Amino acid sequence: MISTSLAAMCAAAPAPYGIDLQGRPVRELAGTGVHVVVLVFAASDCPISNRYVPEITRLNHEFESRGVKFWWVFPNPSDTAQVVAQHDRAFSIAESTILDRQQNLVRWSQATTTPEAVVFQSESGALREVYRGRIDDRYISLGQERPAPQHHDLENAIAAALASKSIPEPDGPPVGCSIVFLQR
Amino acid sequence: MKKSGLITALVVIAALCGAAFAPVITVRATQGTQAKPAESTSAPVTWSHDIAPLVYQHCTTCHHPGGAGPFSLLTYNDARRWGPQVVTVTQSRFMPPWLPEPGYGDFADVRRLSNHERALIQQWAELGAPEGDPKEAPAPPHYDATWTLGKPDLILKVPRPYTLNAGGTDVFRNFILPYPLKQTHYIRAMEIVPGAPQIVHHANVIIDRTASYRREHPDDWQDGIPGMELLVDSGNRFDPDSHFLFWKPDTPAIVESPGMPWRLDPGNDLILNMHLKPSGKPETLDAQVGLYFTDQPPAKFPMLLQLDRDDALNIPAGDAHFVVEGSLKLPVDVDVLGVYPHAHYLGRDLEGWAMLPDGKKKWLVWIRNWDIDRQSVYRYKEPLFLPKGSVLHMRYTYDNSAGNVHNPNSPPIRVQAGNRSVDEMSHLWVQVLPVNVAPNAPDPRLLLEEAWMRNRLSKSPDDKVGLYNLASALAGEGKFGEAVTIYEQDLKHDPKDSRTLTALGAALEGAGDWKAAETRLRSAIDAHPDACDARFDVANVELRHEELNSAEADFRAQLAQCPEDAEVHAGLGSTLAKEGQNDAAMAEFQRSLILDQNDEAALLGEGELQAGAGQTEQAIATLSKAVSTDSTSTDALEQLARAYAQSGQLGKALDRLRAAVRLKPDDPLLHSAISQVLAASGNLDDAITEQQAALKLLEDDPDGWNNLGVLEARTGKTASAREDFEHALKLQPDHAEAKANLARLQGHD
Repeated sequence: MISTSLAAMCAAAPAPYGIDLQGRPVRELAGTGVHVVVLVFAASDCPISNRYVPEITRLNHEFESRGVKFWWVFPNPSDTAQVVAQHDRAFSIAESTILDRQQNLVRWSQATTTPEAVVFQSESGALREVYRGRIDDRYISLGQERPAPQHHDLENAIAAALASKSIPEPDGPPVGCSIVFLQR
Repeated sequence: MKKSGLITALVVIAALCGAAFAPVITVRATQGTQAKPAESTSAPVTWSHDIAPLVYQHCTTCHHPGGAGPFSLLTYNDARRWGPQVVTVTQSRFMPPWLPEPGYGDFADVRRLSNHERALIQQWAELGAPEGDPKEAPAPPHYDATWTLGKPDLILKVPRPYTLNAGGTDVFRNFILPYPLKQTHYIRAMEIVPGAPQIVHHANVIIDRTASYRREHPDDWQDGIPGMELLVDSGNRFDPDSHFLFWKPDTPAIVESPGMPWRLDPGNDLILNMHLKPSGKPETLDAQVGLYFTDQPPAKFPMLLQLDRDDALNIPAGDAHFVVEGSLKLPVDVDVLGVYPHAHYLGRDLEGWAMLPDGKKKWLVWIRNWDIDRQSVYRYKEPLFLPKGSVLHMRYTYDNSAGNVHNPNSPPIRVQAGNRSVDEMSHLWVQVLPVNVAPNAPDPRLLLEEAWMRNRLSKSPDDKVGLYNLASALAGEGKFGEAVTIYEQDLKHDPKDSRTLTALGAALEGAGDWKAAETRLRSAIDAHPDACDARFDVANVELRHEELNSAEADFRAQLAQCPEDAEVHAGLGSTLAKEGQNDAAMAEFQRSLILDQNDEAALLGEGELQAGAGQTEQAIATLSKAVSTDSTSTDALEQLARAYAQSGQLGKALDRLRAAVRLKPDDPLLHSAISQVLAASGNLDDAITEQQAALKLLEDDPDGWNNLGVLEARTGKTASAREDFEHALKLQPDHAEAKANLARLQGHD
C-alpha cells in the first residue's frame, strides 16, 4: 500500500492537468472556495462506468454547495473531445470534464480502472490525495453485483475529507474496465 | 490499515520528492498478470489464428455493434481494447453466460468455454494481445440489425414506449401486446427486438389466453405493469402451456422444433415479462415481437410441468444453507426436451434430476452458482427419455446470509415465496413430450396434469388452482364422477364461482345428469351474466339434447357478448343446421372459419352441409381439412368417408373408416359403416364380419341385426338371415324394414 501511494505522491501535479472539451488547457482543479476535489475516471464505452453517472450526479448535488468540485476524467485514447461531448449530452453530465490525453492525471493519481474516484483535499492551493478507489461496493467483481450498494465509500470519503477526519480504506478494488494505457 | 497513519507517512515522503515526474512504470493493458511465454512450444497465440475464431463463435452474437453486449468484439482493435476484461470474465466463467455444470445434462447450444480456450485467451493477453497475420483471420460474422429470420408475418409492438430510469436497482416490467388478428395462427418462430438491447437482460413471453392480466389493469396496462412474476388465467379449456418462450440477448429468435408450433387465437395477449438493467442514462424501450406463422397445425403436443416448493420457502435471516426439495412421479413415458430452473437472488445451488424405475439416476441440470441475471432455458441436445414411473426431483439451496452479495435485503430478513424481487421462488420447469401413447388412450397430458395437481394438493390441500385443474383433468379423462366430487370441493370455497359452476355443469353432463348440468350452468350465468363459457356450455347441452330453440337463443345471447368467438358461431351453425336452416347455418360456419380457419365443428358442419347439397367435391375438400387439422378426430374421418362413399370413391372411404376404427376400435357405428362400404364394394363376406363385430359391441341394435340379415340373405345364408330379422323384431317389434325383409325371405321359401 505504501509503495503504491509513494509513487503517486512522488509525481508532482501535472500542469496543465488536461484539456476541456473545447480544447482549452485545464490549469486549476480547485477554484475559490473549493475544499475537496473529486476526479472520477471514466470511459464513454465502459458499461459500469456509465452506470455510475447517476450516482456521481447525486453526490455532486449533495456536495457541490459545500465546496466539493467534481471532475469527470476521460483518459482513454478513443475518448476524443467529440466522443466525450456526445457522451456527456447523452448521459446529461453536468459536471466538468477533462480529457486526460497525455494520461498525466492517470500517472499522478495511479488510477487503473474506470470508474475509479480520487479525492484530494485542497490546502492553500495544494492538492493532497486522501482517497483513491471504488465509488461504492455495488460491484464486487465483474459479474458479482449487489442489488444496491452497502458501503458508499466515495461519499464517506468526501464527507470525511470535508470534516478533516480520517478516511477509511475501501474493502475492495474498483471494478469496471481497465484504463487503456498509452504505450511509452 | 488505518488511513491516518498512512497520511502522516506520505506527507513526509512527499516532502522528499523533486518537482519532476518520478518515473512510473507504465501499466500495460494486461495489468495484474505477469507476462510469461506460452507453455506450448508451438507458434505464439494470435488474434488472427486463435482468438478471432473463438470470439466469433462464443462472443459476438451479443458483442457486435448494435448488439446486446455493452461493447463490440468484432475487430482486432475491439478485442485488444477489451482484452483485460475478456481475460477476467472468461477466467471467472462470468462470460460467456452459461450456468449448468458440464456432465449434468447434455444441452444444445452450450456456451461454456473449454479450459483450453480460456487458457488461449489468457496467453494471448499475456503476450500483449498480438494480432498475427490478418490474412489468417476468419471473416467477421455479419449481424443484421433488424430481424434475423427475415420479415415477420406479424409484428406486435408495445402500446407505449417505456423509459427506464438512468440508475437504481434492476427493473422487472410486464408489457402487454394484444394479438390483433381475427384468425387463429400457428407460430413456428418468434423474434424479439427490444429497442434498447443493452438494457434487456432477458424476457419471458407469456400467452394470456383470456387477456386476464390486461383486464386486471384496465387503466394502466399500456404503460407496462411492474412485477417480477405474474399469474394469468388460462381459461376453462384444457390447453396447457407447452413452450418455453424465453428470450435472451444471444438468441434473438426462438425457433420451434418441426411439428411443434404454438398457437395464438383472437383475443389472446402476449405478455413480455422483461428484466431491465439501468445503463446510466434514461433509455427508451419500444420492444417489438416478430411472429412467423406456419399453416401446419401442431403434430406433437409437449407440456410444461412445474416442480415447485414455494410452500416450503420460509428462509430465516442469516441462513446460508436453506434447502427445499420437491418431486413429481411421471404417469406416462416422456421425452424431456428442456428445463428452466428459476429462483430469485437468494438461490445458490439448483439441482434437478430424475430417478428411473430401475433405480438409475439421470441428471436434468445442476447449477452450482445460481445467478438470476444469467438465467436461461436449457434445451437438451437429444430428447431425454424417462419411462412412466420415473420421479422428477429438485433440490434447491438458498443463501440468505449477508455474505450472499445478491441478497436484496440488507441486513437480511426472513424471506418467503412471492412475486417481488425481494421474495423468493423455487421452480423447476420441465418441458416434456409424451411418447409411446396407445392409439385410443386419453390425452397423456391430462394424466400429467392430474399427477401434477395431485402433487400440488398434497402440499396445499385447499389450493384452488390445484382443485380446479385436477377436476378438469379428471373430466378430460372421462372420470366425470370424480371430477364432480372435486369441483364440489372447490365450490365450498366460493359457491358462486361461475367458472367452477360452469365446469361442474359440464362434468355433470358427462356423468349423464344433463338436467343437473343445466341447473349448474344456469347458476353460473346468474352469478356472472357476462360469462361466455357457461352460456356456451348451456347452449351445447341444449343442442346435444335437441332443445334447439333454447340452444339457438343461448348461442345468440352469447354472440352479443363475445362476437369474435369462432366456437360460438360454429355452435349456432350446428343448431341452425339441425333446425333445417341450412343457408343460415352455412353463414355461421363460414363466419367461424374466418375467425379460426381450423375450427373443427365449423369444418364438420360446413362439410356435412356441402355433402347434403350434393357438393361432394367441396365436401371432400372441407372434411379433408378437418382431418388434417385433427387427425385423431373420428367424427371428421367418418364424415370424410361418407363424402368419399357418396362420390363413389369406396377405397378412400374404407381407408378413412379404418383409420377411424384404429382410433376407436370399440365404436360399433364405425364397424357398421365399414360393413356398408364393404358391401357396396361387393365384399360381402368381410362386410358380414364387420357387422358381426359391430353387434358384439352393441347387441341391442335392431338396425344392426336387420343389416346383418340383409348381408347374409345376399350371400345365401337364409337361415341365419331369418334369425337376424327375428332378432331385430324382438328388439323392436314395429321395425318396418326387418318385417318387410322377413316377409320377403318367407316369400322366397
